[in-house]
Amino acid sequence: MDARRFAALADAYGGALHRWPAAEQAAASSFADSEEGRAILARAGRLDALLDRHRVEAPSLALHGAIVARAASEVRHVRSRRFWWLGFGLAGVGLAGAVAGLALVMVVTPDAASDHYVMDANATSFGDAGPDADQAEEDL
Amino acid sequence: MGADPDEELVRRVGAGDPAAVQAMVARKLPRILALANRMLGDAAEAEDVAQETFVRIWRHASGWRQGHARFDTWIHRVALNLCYDRLRRRREWTTDELPKVADAAPLPDAMPGDEARRISQALQRIAPRQREAIVLVYYQELSNIEAAGAMQVSVDALESLLARGRRALQAMLAGDDGDD
Repeated sequence: MDARRFAALADAYGGALHRWPAAEQAAASSFADSEEGRAILARAGRLDALLDRHRVEAPSLALHGAIVARAASEVRHVRSRRFWWLGFGLAGVGLAGAVAGLALVMVVTPDAASDHYVMDANATSFGDAGPDADQAEEDL
Repeated sequence: MGADPDEELVRRVGAGDPAAVQAMVARKLPRILALANRMLGDAAEAEDVAQETFVRIWRHASGWRQGHARFDTWIHRVALNLCYDRLRRRREWTTDELPKVADAAPLPDAMPGDEARRISQALQRIAPRQREAIVLVYYQELSNIEAAGAMQVSVDALESLLARGRRALQAMLAGDDGDD
């Protein structure tokens, strides 16, 4: 690693090598022992020291408690919503099965109307063979 | 990317385990609250952001699957989006656009004991994307890859934001610590 890259990394990540990109820490560590490296790190470290003075309050117990209290209702709500979607899904599968079964029955069986056709007792495949028909032929 | 250290805890939260909920809040609340505090510079708004972030965690825990990002990176992204919603609302009376450059004028000298407030003010005066980069890498100690992922930028762009942000902070705080 050359001085230019080392300085660029210090400008971006500051003077603490543990914040630097993992892939470059080993090379940076070697350069950091040089006089130039130490000077660059010292310069970056001065801003780090200022940034370290900016501390924030720890979360209050009230905030912690409010967040935990909200969790129970939110998780329960999500789980119940999933339960209902599962119910809708199962109902949908059942409905699809019923429709498929009905379609299968319609394809396999003949036209339902033919099952209820009452064949005329006088009819044959050659037409009406009843006495009136015979008489009509004799009259000719 | 290795195994997600939060994966098992997230699974237990999604299953409704009360102990896991407590553990999740103890583990993540300080980080999320600190992130929001430094992004917004307002403790009350930061608490609101932290609460909203956890509502999203509770809602998504049962369906969480590790994709390209770790859970910790994902919640940082959620919290940052909530922070940006609030920053935009603050500026709605002038413009929808957040400033892209810092106001680098030096801050007035601080009385002893006011240094933390002065640094907080300096953070609020740099461009939000630069502040975001510094908060993620410096204060939250995300790796460069995680921070770039949370910000949805390249590592090169992250380094540029970091360097410009640090230079702006240096200029503003020069009264305390001019070194260039």
